[in-house]
Amino acid sequence: MNEFTKISKNNLIKENQILIQVLGICSTLAVTNNLRNTMIMAIGVTLVTGLSNLTVSFLKKYIPRKVRMMVETLIIAFYVIIVDIILRAYLPDVSKALGPYVGLIITNCIIMGRAEAFAQANTPLISLWDGLTAGAGYALVLVIVAFIRELLGFGTIFNIRIMPKSFTPWTIMVMAPSAFFIVALLMWVAKSMSLKAGGKK
Amino acid sequence: MNKEGKFYTILFSFITTFVFVLLLSLLNASTIQRIQDNERLFKIKAILKAFGVEYKNDQEALSNFEKYVKTKRINNVDLYYITSDAQTLYGIVFNGSGLWSNISGFISTDENVEKIVGIEFISQAETPGLGGRIEEEWFKNQFRSEKLVNGTITIQIGGTGDYDHENGKVDAITGATQTSKSLERIINDHLSILRDILGVRQ
Repeated sequence: MNEFTKISKNNLIKENQILIQVLGICSTLAVTNNLRNTMIMAIGVTLVTGLSNLTVSFLKKYIPRKVRMMVETLIIAFYVIIVDIILRAYLPDVSKALGPYVGLIITNCIIMGRAEAFAQANTPLISLWDGLTAGAGYALVLVIVAFIRELLGFGTIFNIRIMPKSFTPWTIMVMAPSAFFIVALLMWVAKSMSLKAGGKK
Repeated sequence: MNKEGKFYTILFSFITTFVFVLLLSLLNASTIQRIQDNERLFKIKAILKAFGVEYKNDQEALSNFEKYVKTKRINNVDLYYITSDAQTLYGIVFNGSGLWSNISGFISTDENVEKIVGIEFISQAETPGLGGRIEEEWFKNQFRSEKLVNGTITIQIGGTGDYDHENGKVDAITGATQTSKSLERIINDHLSILRDILGVRQ
């Protein structure tokens, strides 16, 4: 199998960052009650993961081991601030809606995880691809969670009313605890599926 | 040079930090004007909305602001006012801490500070979906032409909107009691600041 397809498959399904590796949980809980914010967060994380992987991979030969993680954090912060500045300058409404969440991309463990686990040992192009697909795997789970939460919590999808007027919104879905339940259920499904697949072999 | 040596490590850290921060400052410097314009425009729109002045686009918002809204600085507070046919409306920017964040916005009243004309938010970072809903139209509409009772507004728990504009009461957001309570305090504090500036008694 082509290395690029293999990486995509691993990152999207088999080794999904949230469901299997249990990384990036904090933002999964925090920004998934509204699909629009979730999409922007997912795009932000995907771009930052890809680009920081690319940069770490380019610089890896020159980075002293002792300050390796500090330099990675610097690179990640660099891209996150760029995303923040661009949103504030060109998409002020989106920036307002996301508030402090953009800055919090820095603390997303997936980005550091990919930089450490992949970019440190691979060439730039494939590292970029790995980062982008890892971000896409994260985005996939986030969108599923947000879909359920926004539908039940507000009765809307992308702020458009879907549920009938008589529907009573579930306040719990708007709050972070509901994401715990949904993510746990998704993990359960993912785990049992991978166990089944493993059993067949 | 020894890659793991002290000298190289310090030099490398210094140079990478320098380069990345330099690039960021350049980006920041090249967009700062745009960002400030955005923020100013946002504030202007909030002021216009709170005064009930309509506009169709950003350009019109700016020109209407220039045309109708005047400012005066009293006691270190910027007082905004707008004179229409029969009356003058006054307003100030308010600021205060909510549950998580600083809530800022604009409130406008009639000349005797007996009735709220409108309220708009400029920035807030309350819980999205709960406290964050203070920016929703139904919530803000409760304040439109609301008569003050004893010079204050009361945000009462529960409900889906109190549109009786004579009772000085609006409904809080369900599940966001702390934000609603803070907002009540912020608004009442600023109403009394506005009264001081205008020299009216309640």
